[in-house]
Amino acid sequence: MKQEVNQISEKIVINAHRLTKYYDKTIGIDQISFQVMKGEIFGFLGPNGAGKTTTIRLLLDLLRPTSGTVKIFNKDIKSDSLQIRKKCGYLPGNFQPYANMTGKEFLDFTAKIRNIKPILQAELSQKFSLERNLSKKIKQLSHGNRQKLGLVQAFAHQPELVILDEPTIGLDPLMQDTFYELLQEYHNSGNTVFFSSHNLPEVEKICHRVAIIRAGKLVALEKLAALKKKRLRKLKITLKHSVNAIHLPGATLQKKQGLLYEFLFEGESDILLSQLAKLPIEDFVFPEPDLEEVFMYYYSGEKDDQ
Amino acid sequence: MINKNYFLLIWKLHRGLFIFSITFLAFMQFLIIWLFGSLDYVPILEALIQQLPPQFRVMLTDQFIQRFSIQGAAAFGFNHPLVLAVLAISAIVIPSRHIAGEIETGTLEILLAHPLLRKSIIISLTVSYGLFLLSIIGGGWIGSISALFIKNQLNMQILFNLLQIGINLWLLFILIMSYTLLASTMAKEGSRVGIIAASVTLLFYLFNFLSTMWNTIQITKIVNIFNYYQPQKLMFGEVIFWKNSIFLISAILICQLTALFRFQIRDIP
Repeated sequence: MKQEVNQISEKIVINAHRLTKYYDKTIGIDQISFQVMKGEIFGFLGPNGAGKTTTIRLLLDLLRPTSGTVKIFNKDIKSDSLQIRKKCGYLPGNFQPYANMTGKEFLDFTAKIRNIKPILQAELSQKFSLERNLSKKIKQLSHGNRQKLGLVQAFAHQPELVILDEPTIGLDPLMQDTFYELLQEYHNSGNTVFFSSHNLPEVEKICHRVAIIRAGKLVALEKLAALKKKRLRKLKITLKHSVNAIHLPGATLQKKQGLLYEFLFEGESDILLSQLAKLPIEDFVFPEPDLEEVFMYYYSGEKDDQ
Repeated sequence: MINKNYFLLIWKLHRGLFIFSITFLAFMQFLIIWLFGSLDYVPILEALIQQLPPQFRVMLTDQFIQRFSIQGAAAFGFNHPLVLAVLAISAIVIPSRHIAGEIETGTLEILLAHPLLRKSIIISLTVSYGLFLLSIIGGGWIGSISALFIKNQLNMQILFNLLQIGINLWLLFILIMSYTLLASTMAKEGSRVGIIAASVTLLFYLFNFLSTMWNTIQITKIVNIFNYYQPQKLMFGEVIFWKNSIFLISAILICQLTALFRFQIRDIP
């Protein structure tokens, strides 16, 4: 029994328990609890200002919690902070390194602070097409190149856990794909990723499990498959001519303006498409839902409680 | 406890200011001593004093004339307002830029995500600045010793007094750095810390100057940091070196320990 408990606790990389942070009287996050398992890509999803960065800073001991505890690698973040940080890589949301250093100087500096060889530095720089820019001063780099530099410094020492705060902001689609590949390779080597984002499709693409935070509270913590089932999408159709009635399974009519219909859709897309094929469609728009819409629909109860 | 890499970072970011300060202090000391050594001020001053009314004349003792000697010039160089201003720049800029300033730019967040202790940052910062300040004052010593050597005025007594003045000056500016550091551990903006620390230093200087002429504010001398740095008096053995040093060291320790404590418990936003 004791052995089983030990095995489970060894598998838990991050264990946040009733984590609360107040800034004076303003709430940052409130009683957040979650666990991230070894080898998992864990998505931390929420709109801007929801408390994602506050949670990350609490995980890294940059902020001190008002109440609650965090354990990383089964060690207390406050008393064993140094040992934990040796095994972690971090990319802040607004990555701003020393502007007067060159990229190479910055990477060497961070490697020396860690007192270990940055094994993957050259390989990662090549992967992100950063080598030519490493000799330039950081203040001369574009936002995208700075972000790539941040990714290289976060992964260069092969950390067991990497914490990324909105890492794809500023990366072009090609580099985003390179980054997703890197995450996959990193995950395949048995390492853990804590990934914050406000972009639902991105999280869907790469994460195994997702926590959703809104206004400082955790409103959902589920496997990606469960989240996908709950997916809500907007559907806009324009008909060629009017019809008596439109029946689309899983779609709720939100607005009708002449021949333009707006629905909220939840369910399997193939059933929807087969029904749509029977209608005289002039135009058809089926955009990705933005996160706020998902919250509005699924978590209106929690919202009302606040 | 002292992080070598952080030390090198501070050197790299501020080497221009350090090199300028070393050169400036060495040049100023050399120039002042060389100028005083080239002119014989004593007969000129004595002739001037003779022309003063007797009641003024008695106020100007031999000590006053002594101040215009080459030893007095060496001490005066270390107390020149320009020298103090140059030293104050580095004492204020470095701690305000490296704690509050780095919070503002976001680099402290990156640093502290690495295996680097908070106390290690404070200690490395103080030790780095202490060593750099020592090299700046060393520049002043080299300038002084060179000029005194050229003027054949170098002797063991002057060397010893210059050493005492240098240590006293070092302690004074470590204290200025320490209270700036303390302010920096409590603030979020480097520029704000810089303005506050510069204003406090200027007020100390102003009050110290006014208290020599205005009896009402003489009481403030007890807590005025510039009252514990009197190079001309040190040069002529009119103050006790250890008395000044003990006050400055105590104030440094209070500021440093409070800064360590504040930084340890604060949030890095």
